[in-house]
Amino acid sequence: MRVIQISFVLAWRNLWRNHRRTVIMLAAISVGAWAMIFMTALMRGMVNDMVRDGIRALPGHVQVHNPLYRDDPSVSNLIAMSDVELAERFSSAGIERFSARVRVPAIISSERESRGVTLLGVDPIQEQSVDAIGSTIVAGTGLDTAASNGIVIGRKLAEKLETEIGKRIVIMSQDPDNEVADRGFRVIGLFEANLAIQEEAFVFAGRQAIQEMLGIDDRVSELAVMGDDYRDVRPLLATVRQLMGTNDEVLPWNELDSYLGSMLAVMDGFVLVWIVVIFLALSFGLVNTLVMAVFERVREIGLMLALGMRPSGILLQIVFESSLLLIIGLAIGNVLAIASILPLRGGIDISIVAEGMEMFGASSILYPELQASDVVLANVVVLILGFFASLSPAWRASRYEPVEAITKV
Amino acid sequence: MLQRFLVLTLFLAASAFSAEGVDRTATEIVRDALNHWRGLSSQSEMTMTIHRPDWERSMSMESWTQGEKRSLVRVTAPRKDRGNGTLIDDNNMWTFSPKVNRVIKVPSSMMNQSWMGSDFSNKDISRTDDILEQYDHALLGKTELDGLTVYEIESIPHEDAAVVWGREVLFVREDNVLVEHRFYDQDGARVKTLRTLEFAEMGGRAVAAIQRMEKEEAPGEWTEIRLDSVEFDVELNSSVFTLSNLRNPRN
Repeated sequence: MRVIQISFVLAWRNLWRNHRRTVIMLAAISVGAWAMIFMTALMRGMVNDMVRDGIRALPGHVQVHNPLYRDDPSVSNLIAMSDVELAERFSSAGIERFSARVRVPAIISSERESRGVTLLGVDPIQEQSVDAIGSTIVAGTGLDTAASNGIVIGRKLAEKLETEIGKRIVIMSQDPDNEVADRGFRVIGLFEANLAIQEEAFVFAGRQAIQEMLGIDDRVSELAVMGDDYRDVRPLLATVRQLMGTNDEVLPWNELDSYLGSMLAVMDGFVLVWIVVIFLALSFGLVNTLVMAVFERVREIGLMLALGMRPSGILLQIVFESSLLLIIGLAIGNVLAIASILPLRGGIDISIVAEGMEMFGASSILYPELQASDVVLANVVVLILGFFASLSPAWRASRYEPVEAITKV
Repeated sequence: MLQRFLVLTLFLAASAFSAEGVDRTATEIVRDALNHWRGLSSQSEMTMTIHRPDWERSMSMESWTQGEKRSLVRVTAPRKDRGNGTLIDDNNMWTFSPKVNRVIKVPSSMMNQSWMGSDFSNKDISRTDDILEQYDHALLGKTELDGLTVYEIESIPHEDAAVVWGREVLFVREDNVLVEHRFYDQDGARVKTLRTLEFAEMGGRAVAAIQRMEKEEAPGEWTEIRLDSVEFDVELNSSVFTLSNLRNPRN
């Protein structure tokens, strides 16, 4: 016990003997820790944003389809149950946030342009509950009922089609017999999404109007269900599977959109890699500092050994020294990171590079997200790896032959 | 007294006209024009010229129609396009190209695309009937052209019609030949015009011999269809309008 105390005091004093070197090392560690935490928070923010956006881009947390629908999203592959039956079943099971949609590829045309889109026939009340894109109306009004004859399109799409609120556009798709099904709709509202690509991809119309146009009675092609947390959808998945039976395919969002799913998984691995890479750079500085400290004090160490300190005491002293360095450095780094993330809570506007960001589905405002587990991971990794890095110089110091060490010039 | 007499004669004259079927409603005029153009069945040869500011090309075609819903068009020249065909049956459309030796059903996604590279869209070609069912017609006025009355008819698509135009204006000669067909967008600006440049007497009827489709926003670009010969009310085997005939011409 006494050895530990003495070693600790010696380590602390040694640390401040060459305070310039210590301060430089502390600066290096704290900047490293700051970089680990800050950059991780940025990446987290970006990925979470993408995932949440991706979920808003219609998958919901769990989705039900006809088993053939995902390979061939045509109007022939519908869910076995009618929308009325679905609504009844889910409401009575206590699930509140779900939306039964008709979702088919379609062509939208104005006088001057026509484009391929995904047509969604929705019940606006159900759709509101799942908070998907299309609910952020920026001009005009949203759909009022499932029987609505209007259509809501993206702001960007309206621009591309050279159309505007109050004008008619034509929607063309195919009915289950592969015949052209088309009709005119009046644009009643424009929605806004984080990504221009989504504003161009989706159009929303009343479910009944679309069912009538396609001649599919009251059937739908997709049922999206929202739970509480997108990170753990298993309980919800089980409930929905039970409600739907075996006729239809029930999948969680990370399987529906495997890009998003793997994105999230890759992110967790990436954080660790990022921390280790920064640490590797740091560790050279750390080991170098310790080696220098040992090298400078060869005679001193020899003297201590000659006076009867055990090699383990020397080892302890050096390890303490590095641990103190690491702990103080990390503490400063953590404070720095948190201090720099807090003012950025409101988001960082990176619209200058928005186009590039959109290409991989990220929006133009970056919200850094501090996740406790990331902070802990960074600190623990640095402490543990730092400890191992300092073992080598410490081991060397403890193995000096006292006589040789004392007489060394 | 004199005034009364005049009014009476005018009235009599007017009723005499309507007895001849001249005073038809706008919808009737449009229907008659459509029937006149198509006949019960028809067989025709025509030349389509696609003109662009820097190039121009022509295609000769044969065409058959039967009733309101069926038609077949086949390219006969130039050689490299020969055998390309389009079959329309009801609301479905297929194309065949000998080069790929495949019949392709034209999906709804391609209905707005150009037909054989011309200024006509697939929809223009396949859905002329819609003008009867999906529009409200109103007579705007009458004018004279070469001694014949021309009716100006405004056609406004129904609210849920699969039509992008805000309105269309048709000029139809009293002998049921289409003189001009203007397409307006929903702001009232004209987008494209189908104009008859030359009238002729063919197959026992007055027909539009040369028609030109022009887009207002692309001056100098047009597509012209010249009718070389036409026969109306010909006997056509219903096997003409089949996919196998589209692929392997037998007539």
